[in-house]
Amino acid sequence: MSVVLRVPRYAGIGLVWAWRLTFGALFPTSCKYEPSCSEYALQAVRRHGLMKGAALAGWRLLRCNPWSHGGHDPV
Amino acid sequence: MLHMLIATIPVLGPLFGGLENMMKHVLNFFHSSVGLTWAWSIVATTVVVRMILVPLTIRQLHSMQSLQQHAPEMKRIQQKYKQDKQKQNEELMKFYRENKINPAASCLPMLLQIPVFIALYYTLKHFETNFAVGKHADLSFLHFIPSISDGTTAHWGGYVLLVVYVASQMASGLFMAPTAQKSQRVIFMVMPLVFVFVIAKFPAGLVLYWVTTNLWTVGQGLITRRLVQRTPAPATEKRSSRTPAKEDESTAGNGASPEPTAPTPSPAATGKPRQVRRKKSSGRRR
Repeated sequence: MSVVLRVPRYAGIGLVWAWRLTFGALFPTSCKYEPSCSEYALQAVRRHGLMKGAALAGWRLLRCNPWSHGGHDPV
Repeated sequence: MLHMLIATIPVLGPLFGGLENMMKHVLNFFHSSVGLTWAWSIVATTVVVRMILVPLTIRQLHSMQSLQQHAPEMKRIQQKYKQDKQKQNEELMKFYRENKINPAASCLPMLLQIPVFIALYYTLKHFETNFAVGKHADLSFLHFIPSISDGTTAHWGGYVLLVVYVASQMASGLFMAPTAQKSQRVIFMVMPLVFVFVIAKFPAGLVLYWVTTNLWTVGQGLITRRLVQRTPAPATEKRSSRTPAKEDESTAGNGASPEPTAPTPSPAATGKPRQVRRKKSSGRRR
């Protein structure tokens, strides 16, 4: 894939890292899923591109609430 | 930019107003009751918050480790009771109890940190009206920041603070993911350099908060690293002998780049485990 087409997903990956390094750093590793939500977001964006990856990650974040049960949940 | 974003969501206005109010009281406590300067009140608030979070951090670190160790077993449970969701949840909960995994932790509430941060932003932005301080109030920090409510780049001291910010952000990034891949380390190094331009426009007090929390992360990382070295994790043995195939999922930031694209899962289907990318035996982990 050309570099230009990959730019959006780099932006997405950068955003996830922005989260990890700022607010995420305050509560490290507090996810009930494996892989964690941010790792899930990284993998989803890498594999499916920014739009679909972001949608998958958003859905995962919604599932990662106090009423869900967690567990093993790969992209 | 932030204002425009917030103005688009009507519910957020009152919410942030309330948070700003709360932050105001906390800062006021440290200033008036404890007797710190305003700048040190921000540092104190940050330190107290991080101190409160330490037990939580440790617990969550442990639960993360055990989640990674037990990923294959969880997968087995989920597959075994694929048809019966009720039973599957029961079994998972039982499994969590047995392995002392904390299923109460979840990511969604963590997003609440962003409003808190925005509260601090507004508190500092409206500093003069919030605290009714006169023109001669001492808003300085360590003699090199004249005012924490001014924009960071308003004075040369702000640039010093920004340099400290970049350094501390890079360091805390490296401590957060010691097992990160090379490409991710590059991101750790580049992100602060991008952020610094965004942050430069913020009040200096906000950068001060950020620097404090980064330094805390670094200190915490140094201590945990030492502790981890002293007590070799018994789990490593267990993992290598019992669960050989789990390397892939657990490696932090293990990119999916060399693999063929898995059939795209619909969001609803992601709850079920898929078997596509299991046996990628790269001895990359640690």
